[in-house]
Amino acid sequence: MGALRSLRYQTLVGASVVVLAVGLAVGAMGIPSDAGYSGVGPNFLPWLVSAGLLVCGVFLVFEARTGGFRDFESAGGDEKPYWSGFVWMSTGLLINAALITTIGFVLSCALCFVFASRGMRNSQGQTAGGLHAWAVDLAVGLIVAAPVYWMFTKFLAINLPGITQSGWI
Amino acid sequence: MEIWNQLLQGFATAGTPVNLMWAFVGCALGTAVGVLPGIGPATAVAMLLPITAKVDATASMIFFAGIYYGAMYGGSTTSILLNTPGETASMVTAMEGNKMAKSGRAGAALATAAIGSFFAGTIATIVVTLFAPIVAEYAVRLGPPEYFCLMLLAFTTVSAVLGQSTLRGLTALFVGLAAGLIGMDQITGQARYAGNVPELLDGVEIVLVAVGLFAVAEALHAVLFEGKVVESENKMSRVTMSAIDWRRSMPAWLRGTVIGTPFGCIPAGGTEIPTFLSYATEKRLATGANLAEFGGKGAIEGVAGPEAANNATVTAALIPLLTLGIPVSNTTAILLGAFQNYGIQPGPQLFSSSSALVWALIASLYIGNVMLLVLNLPLVGLWVKLLKVPKPQLYAGILIFATVGAYGMRQSAFDLFLLYGIGVLGVVMRRFSFPTAPVVVGMILGPLAEAQLRNAIAIGEGSALIFLQRPMSATLLLIVIAVLLAPRVIKMMSKRATQGLG
Repeated sequence: MGALRSLRYQTLVGASVVVLAVGLAVGAMGIPSDAGYSGVGPNFLPWLVSAGLLVCGVFLVFEARTGGFRDFESAGGDEKPYWSGFVWMSTGLLINAALITTIGFVLSCALCFVFASRGMRNSQGQTAGGLHAWAVDLAVGLIVAAPVYWMFTKFLAINLPGITQSGWI
Repeated sequence: MEIWNQLLQGFATAGTPVNLMWAFVGCALGTAVGVLPGIGPATAVAMLLPITAKVDATASMIFFAGIYYGAMYGGSTTSILLNTPGETASMVTAMEGNKMAKSGRAGAALATAAIGSFFAGTIATIVVTLFAPIVAEYAVRLGPPEYFCLMLLAFTTVSAVLGQSTLRGLTALFVGLAAGLIGMDQITGQARYAGNVPELLDGVEIVLVAVGLFAVAEALHAVLFEGKVVESENKMSRVTMSAIDWRRSMPAWLRGTVIGTPFGCIPAGGTEIPTFLSYATEKRLATGANLAEFGGKGAIEGVAGPEAANNATVTAALIPLLTLGIPVSNTTAILLGAFQNYGIQPGPQLFSSSSALVWALIASLYIGNVMLLVLNLPLVGLWVKLLKVPKPQLYAGILIFATVGAYGMRQSAFDLFLLYGIGVLGVVMRRFSFPTAPVVVGMILGPLAEAQLRNAIAIGEGSALIFLQRPMSATLLLIVIAVLLAPRVIKMMSKRATQGLG
């Protein structure tokens, strides 16, 4: 059952490569071919890459339909993915992306840290640990994020967003 | 003599307190990322690329070289002490190193790894010092057709030779090339695949792709699949080697260096082949009780040789990077990106146009090696503590650094969403065993190769035959074809041979 399912996923991966190839081809149609002095224009490589991906994608689908990818050894074996942890971590990353300009680097990253750490803790099967674990994660997140922020803004003068203009938070 | 003077100049530049500080911080940071699972030199350099906006070129290249180097030293510590299947570069070290550590000889394994790395690194740096200028002098005569063929060779080896499957390697390469297409065409300024997103007009930052594929994907993969993996740590012992250990290690270091150095010089990339070769050599040369230790108690040659080969390859890989501008691994590809951020294009002209920078960089390799020996022999206990960082905090922390790298480059929150998307792509690739190096190399080298291709065809007055008319480029093309076909032919022949026997 597992093997069949994984073959279906392999087909899906191959098919997405084909879709990507077609997408690139559609895009390539809009690029002018004017070559100027050189014999090939800006649309040459896009067409080439699109064709290459198409060939690869078709072969991948073919392999998937005829026994699966060749020389294939899936990293990490066949254990089931732990989706709930993935959701936690993804939420952390996306929240970070959404909030970084409003609440500043330090707070936003600390939030991301808390979510990511939570996902990882759950995946390890740690018992929730209650309020204590949350507090620890938040504190550690701040302790990691704040010095990074100071180092980049004060020492290297690289702009990272803050909630204030002081460059400290 | 000229080389000697330039090298001394380099030492003068690299030896200023500020640059020494950068080298030291780089080495220390490199060792740390090497020790920490889940983050490697490519990721670390990529995350820190934003500093190229403020720090001057020489200092930051010395810094990055320290990270590049230090990670090699640190990586062996983890593979010896931790019982987890590591990455390919340190996998060979782990085979014997782990066995040695289990039988209570962790200290000797760590010592031979560190001293061997120092030995091989220094020899390979001497090779770089002596040969890079010669290669550069020769490379000046190469024209666009030859360059294009060299890049083609790099693409082929990185995607088709390394890794499990040529098909998946090539797919990854084309994905990288496609990513490199996004943005403005270098020659005509024509926008490609940018849609109407202004962020995409400048192209996709290499930081995003590297950090997404390595760091974010690593964290997501860990949370999805590695929660239940139980790690156990081997016990440390005193980091010393007995006289017998020395006698057994020294020839192995030397052989490892001899095997590793040429592999770095050719655009064939990767440390897998030389480290495996070195391991096989040591095993075949071993006799009696020493041979019995292989796979049993752990043979010291099996750590010494591959570690030396690894460092020699990694160091010598700077030759194609500096003289031809051709990266053959993830990390060198990102180093190339760092050069580009300064508007410097590595290549044969680098030795004349940025001579001070290059020689300071080479001098810093010598200095860095000494620093790393000190950091890794007496202070190894310090790094071992890093292995105690709990996984949740480790990966969550990596994500913070990933944010710095991705956001710091362009100050755009859009990039953080893109980063997440690339991270998810990285998990899929890893799950289905697509290699990531071709993506990064393809993305960095793609636009350069395209420019060379177009210049070459312009030279040929619109005809692609130019590649066949010039002896050098025609030879390179033949090599590319051979590299693609040889494994298949050998496979077919051996199949036929076994059938014939049956």
